[in-house]
Amino acid sequence: MSPENNQESSEDDKVTRMIVLGPKAQLSSSELVGKLHMLELPLTIKSTCYGALIHGNEEVVMDAIKKIRDLDPSNIFTKDRGFPPGDPRRCRAKRGAAREGFHQLEKEYELLEYVCDALENPEKVSLKKPEKISPEDFRKVVQECEK
Amino acid sequence: MKIAVFPPNSLILADMVERRGHEPLVIQKEMRKKVTDPEIDSPPFNITEEEPIKGLKYAAIEVPSGVRGRMAIFGPIIDEAEAAIIMEDAPYGFGCIGCARTNELSMYYLRKRGIPVLEIHYPETREETLEVINKINTFLDELEKQEGTDQSDESEGSKLEDDKTKEQGGNNHG
Repeated sequence: MSPENNQESSEDDKVTRMIVLGPKAQLSSSELVGKLHMLELPLTIKSTCYGALIHGNEEVVMDAIKKIRDLDPSNIFTKDRGFPPGDPRRCRAKRGAAREGFHQLEKEYELLEYVCDALENPEKVSLKKPEKISPEDFRKVVQECEK
Repeated sequence: MKIAVFPPNSLILADMVERRGHEPLVIQKEMRKKVTDPEIDSPPFNITEEEPIKGLKYAAIEVPSGVRGRMAIFGPIIDEAEAAIIMEDAPYGFGCIGCARTNELSMYYLRKRGIPVLEIHYPETREETLEVINKINTFLDELEKQEGTDQSDESEGSKLEDDKTKEQGGNNHG
């Protein structure tokens, strides 16, 4: 196999992940980037307003995600990204407007604080829909309330 | 387990699924295949003329090509899914009529597949968010239990089969 083909196949295996820090996170995005650099993994790291972007081989990226998530499990969220970091088709610097997906991230960010609360205090809930009560039962309830 | 999430680009849903050790099927993985392909070099050529043809598997020829093109991307996610979480009324899920119809069609296919589906509404308040997250976690835990019982049933079934073959073998020898 030629070196070019090797490079292409390795480029195909690469994935990009967004690391999003929740509002209650114990570390800032610059600290997060510092921690990512300290892992000394072969990754492309980009600091962003919401956290960081990491790009590299899937195994390495997942390893980094696992280690970073351990820092603050209920406040660090991650998701896949299709485009690599700094891609001119998506990068804000080239396009001059909000990146596609930014508004979605902005909207979900509003809920991350509550998601963190739910993760820290898990509760068992029923997935069954509440059943409708019969008119007779309802009549009894009304009569009890009137007493 | 491979779990389809809807909206397929949701950060919260994908993260929750991953936390419980399942694999979220998200649109970004499908898009990555399109945008990192060496044959595609400039925007917005993510969708080529081949996609509406692939989309015919999911939508009739009368359906607009925009919907079929989108279904070519969503389709593999629906086919691969072993369970699904559908979050309706997500504020970022709106779009043109093509997007709206594709969303309806995708949700219809997910429901029609007969896989375990959790249907929730996009939360707006703290209480709603807590309930939604607890529901997602309960659903994922139940899936794990089901998977565990299925595996044990399979292993018991294979054990029974082994015993039967042993008995048959014993009888033959006897």
